[in-house]
Amino acid sequence: MAEAIQRKLQSELEKYQQMQKDVNKSMSARQKLEAQLTENNIVKEELDLLDSQNTVYKLIGPVLVKQELDEAKATVTKRLEYINGEIQRHETLLKDLERKSEQHREILASLQQEYQRAQGIPAGKV
Amino acid sequence: ACHCPKQVMKDCNDQLMHWKKVEKDYESLQERLITLPDKLSYDVMVPFGPLAFSPGKLVHTNEVMVLLGDNWFAKCSAKQAEALVAHRQKLVKKKLDDLHKVMKSFRDKAEFTADLEKITDTAGDFVDIREVLSKDEEVTKGKPRVAHKPNSKPKEEYVLQLKEEQWEGEGGASQGGVLSETELWARLDELERLEEEQDERDRLDSTDTNGEDTTSSSSEEEKETETGSAVEVNGHRQCEDMSPASYAGRVNGVTGLALDGQDKDEEYEDEEEFSSLPTIYFSHTTEPKKVRINTGKNTTLKFSERKEQKDAKRKKKSVKCNGHTLHEHHKITTPADIYRVFVDVVNGEPVPRKSILKSRSRENSVCSDTSESSTADFEERRALYGHEEGAHSAASNGVTEDGRHAAISLYPNGRVEAFSGTVVEKDPLPVSIPHLTITPPALPTIPERKQEEVGSETPQEVPKRVSKFKAARLQQK
Repeated sequence: MAEAIQRKLQSELEKYQQMQKDVNKSMSARQKLEAQLTENNIVKEELDLLDSQNTVYKLIGPVLVKQELDEAKATVTKRLEYINGEIQRHETLLKDLERKSEQHREILASLQQEYQRAQGIPAGKV
Repeated sequence: ACHCPKQVMKDCNDQLMHWKKVEKDYESLQERLITLPDKLSYDVMVPFGPLAFSPGKLVHTNEVMVLLGDNWFAKCSAKQAEALVAHRQKLVKKKLDDLHKVMKSFRDKAEFTADLEKITDTAGDFVDIREVLSKDEEVTKGKPRVAHKPNSKPKEEYVLQLKEEQWEGEGGASQGGVLSETELWARLDELERLEEEQDERDRLDSTDTNGEDTTSSSSEEEKETETGSAVEVNGHRQCEDMSPASYAGRVNGVTGLALDGQDKDEEYEDEEEFSSLPTIYFSHTTEPKKVRINTGKNTTLKFSERKEQKDAKRKKKSVKCNGHTLHEHHKITTPADIYRVFVDVVNGEPVPRKSILKSRSRENSVCSDTSESSTADFEERRALYGHEEGAHSAASNGVTEDGRHAAISLYPNGRVEAFSGTVVEKDPLPVSIPHLTITPPALPTIPERKQEEVGSETPQEVPKRVSKFKAARLQQK
């Protein structure tokens, strides 16, 4: 009886750990997105400071590609929106994962209790 | 993210340094941008790989390729570049300000706690309330007492610890007190030994309450001694620098060895000059329990009674003499002493008188021995029933119905002592007859009044409840 519980405990523990890892991954991704967000905001603002006389280049790999100012502005704006969306998605994901991990934690706790009880009983009988 | 203030402060500092560096870089950049277009071209030493330089010229000094971030570049004039740099500097400054704010708030937090401590130390309004707990108390709270288990003697530790505490605390303040303490310890040891013996006998049919009673009484003894001794010594010195030698706290000018202790809830304030902070030493002391008689199975005596009885026993070496004990303790100073006086010594053990109340009515109740009020009746009754208190041989002194002539000669004994009469048994103990018996572990045991828990000597049948009166009558028939 105790062994079965132990095995269950183990599997639950692993699941919980996996969940924790997912949570961490999601969180780090979100942080990266946030950094990109701020950066793109700066770019946008600086592009606004320029006028059409300056040529704007985009670095794609080792190549600097000429871009129009307006095009650049549009691209940056679109990117900003994309980043925002990503952040939202990640946030919901994170919340969901947190909830699930919480549930798992409770299950683990109850299993542990059961296990200890099972441990206690045979010990008592002996 | 770690939230402990020190860590946060450290991180803040690191970031602060980083951004300050960035700011300085931008400042120098700005300067360069301003001076760059002054000349059409500059003669420079151009770095050639990591190890070489080569002379060259810097041309188009007004054209600057600016990295806007996220892989975007813009070709700008120097002035435009300068504008961009200024814009960035603004952002950097903003970041720095935020960091400063965070630092400040955490520093304030840290300072506040430090200030609070300072304030509490100095101001008189703040009073520190402490309750000094001794290790003994912690150990014994809520746990079954180890001392009363056979083959264990943890009390010696306590005794030793106490001794040490006393020594440390008082520092030889009263040598006279020391002697009496050693005496006390010796007595205590004796008491403990006897108690253990009793408890082992009790254990045969002891209920939980019983065990607790004895244990609690013994713990009272301990504590009483502690308090007693502590009190005694404390009376001499009122120095607050004394380490809390007794958990009972310190008493200001209390009566001497108050073994018949009263509640010692002592709350008082120390003199301010003795401690950095006015301190109230608070202690929970357990009230030393008076004689408690439980449902006929066990009885505990107050510490002082026992001790003195042991004393009497030791000195007189009289085993079956109630009168002797009476001599010793005629002096009654407190109500508790009454119990002490009206007590029988059976085989050297003090046995309190039985209560005339029905045992059922007193089940699980902690009440003092009420037998004093009807001692005469009690004796008479006991003589009548031929009851013997604390008799060890259960089989021999029952009043039985049937032709068994148990000649109980306890009749007009005046004082029922250990069974000194003769018992004549005609028949072996009849199995079918319920008889009044006294269950073996009897020393501090008061057998049931109406024999509701009839003898364990007849396991074969369900004991029929027979009152003593009836039994006597039946016998007389």
